[in-house]
Amino acid sequence: MIISSYLNPHLPYAVQRAMLVKEFHLNDPIWVQYYYYMVGLLQGNWGYTHTAIYSGPVTTAISLFLPNTIQLSIIAFIIAVVIAIPAGQESAVRKNSAVDQISRFVAFVGISLPVFWLAQILSEVFATPTVSPALNILPLSGTVDATLMAGVPWINSIGVSNPTHIMMIDALIHGNLPIFFSSIRHVILPAATLAFTSIAGIMRYMRASMVESLSQDYVKTARSKGLPEKVVIKVHARKNALIPVVTILGLLFAGLLGGVVVIEDLFSYPGMGLWTVDAILGYDSGGIMGTTIVFGLILVTANFIVDLLYAWIDPRIRLGE
Amino acid sequence: MEEMKRNPRIESFLLTLKILFQSPASVFGVVVVLIYIAIAAIDQFDPSLIGLTNVNSLVPNFTIPEPLPPSPAHPFGTVYPGIDIFTGILKAIRIDIGFAFFVVILGAVSGVLIGVISAYFGGWIDEIVMRITDIFFSIPYLVLAIAIGFFLGRSLFILSVGLIIIWWPIYARVVRGQSLAVREQTFVEAARASGVGNSKIMFRHILPNTLAPIFVQFSFDLATIVLTLATLNFIGFAPANAYLPDMGYLSSIGYEYAVIGDWWTIVFPGFGLLLFALAMNLVGDGLRDALDPRLRR
Repeated sequence: MIISSYLNPHLPYAVQRAMLVKEFHLNDPIWVQYYYYMVGLLQGNWGYTHTAIYSGPVTTAISLFLPNTIQLSIIAFIIAVVIAIPAGQESAVRKNSAVDQISRFVAFVGISLPVFWLAQILSEVFATPTVSPALNILPLSGTVDATLMAGVPWINSIGVSNPTHIMMIDALIHGNLPIFFSSIRHVILPAATLAFTSIAGIMRYMRASMVESLSQDYVKTARSKGLPEKVVIKVHARKNALIPVVTILGLLFAGLLGGVVVIEDLFSYPGMGLWTVDAILGYDSGGIMGTTIVFGLILVTANFIVDLLYAWIDPRIRLGE
Repeated sequence: MEEMKRNPRIESFLLTLKILFQSPASVFGVVVVLIYIAIAAIDQFDPSLIGLTNVNSLVPNFTIPEPLPPSPAHPFGTVYPGIDIFTGILKAIRIDIGFAFFVVILGAVSGVLIGVISAYFGGWIDEIVMRITDIFFSIPYLVLAIAIGFFLGRSLFILSVGLIIIWWPIYARVVRGQSLAVREQTFVEAARASGVGNSKIMFRHILPNTLAPIFVQFSFDLATIVLTLATLNFIGFAPANAYLPDMGYLSSIGYEYAVIGDWWTIVFPGFGLLLFALAMNLVGDGLRDALDPRLRR
């Protein structure tokens, strides 16, 4: 327990109690306590968390769990974008064809699937020897095989790797390929589940935007100039179609983070989501406050990056017009 | 006078239905949603009609607690402790759908009112409302729902209040955007020039012209809320009610058994959710096309 670190067992009980009350301002009214909490936030003292997966300062827990979540959500996001943008483009170019109908169906199933259900089905098919012995090729939980982590100098006692804290990148930096591949194997199932839920949204937006862009006059002009269809689609239509898609990517990233909560819990992937669920189930207010703030910060950062990307894609914005 | 005023609306409604039913996917969606609503209504008013008793509980049967595979007596099998999955799903439909409608209707109504007022008056009212919606959009809704549930308590009603608090900003944003455009139209100016009061302009002239995207959002959100409730129940954030009929809870008790090979314990409850969400999304997509002014002409 964290509180025990504040206590000197040689002191009388009443003195220990008084010290705790003083330390955590327990006799002050709630708004004064809130003031201390806010000051603490700015000073890097985010309080304490006590959950099944970690007990200690909230800031340490964040440094432990946040890199895992970043790793997971960015990989999922990349998978989603890499699949969804070309698929959306293709179904817009071949509107109402079989490709379009199939991708539409897949997209709607993707939006409508309960995330936890998809995670269950995937983990049964690929990670449960009793259900599917032939396909049991992926690990069910965790971020990396614990046996590989033992005695590695750049991983500290609570499992934080140095220097970037993101296990996959650190393994590459130190040239430790077994750990690298192990962490990839561990991230596949949660990342695929997470990606599948956002593919649908991105693909539908891309399709609508591309259809709109293909009906514009500049596409007509490009075609009548005699440009090859490939160039018309890639250079003229797609670039313009991407602008609105990029603006909603920030919002979709928010949806992804919501999914993280459930998916990390299901795959016992030690990230912010698993910590959040543990904190909630354990009525751990320090953990709940900490995770909520971090999720908010990630979202604001994601939106900021989207704004920058937006300027990069659309020169009119860069020029301040 | 009244007759003339009403006809164009009915005609417009019929046109919407006509376009909606041109697409087989939308027809499928509407039919499935109607079946779900019918089941929910039967559960509510006369459960004995489909042979259900005790609709508020998943009725465990401790004499045969271990999961049984699908059989004529239990079409979808059973799950620990002896809960029949088929009747469980039928009962869950009432709770899940009722909850979703309650949340989305109240969220939409409050969001629409706030959005219209915010757009109509503009200035600092608009500024404050929009900054509040920003706050809600900056935190993932699932995390926010969990955090609100943590501080307010874990009953189904409080969970719905929490979700309404989270959901109104979407509607406020959509309606505000629409109202800003409508506000500048000449008919609003004409109404103001002829001395019509603020509230009548807002609710009689602006509001009806902003509703099309609201219906689309409404149908997508019904699907999202059903999935959200199931997800919250699945990860153990359930209202303190053992054997509450909800598909998320049904899946969560089936989880351990699915891992050892009893696939039916999760496949059917998940499929019940998927079917409703899919149907609702198809209806929303169809409505979006049907209400699109470019396609109506």
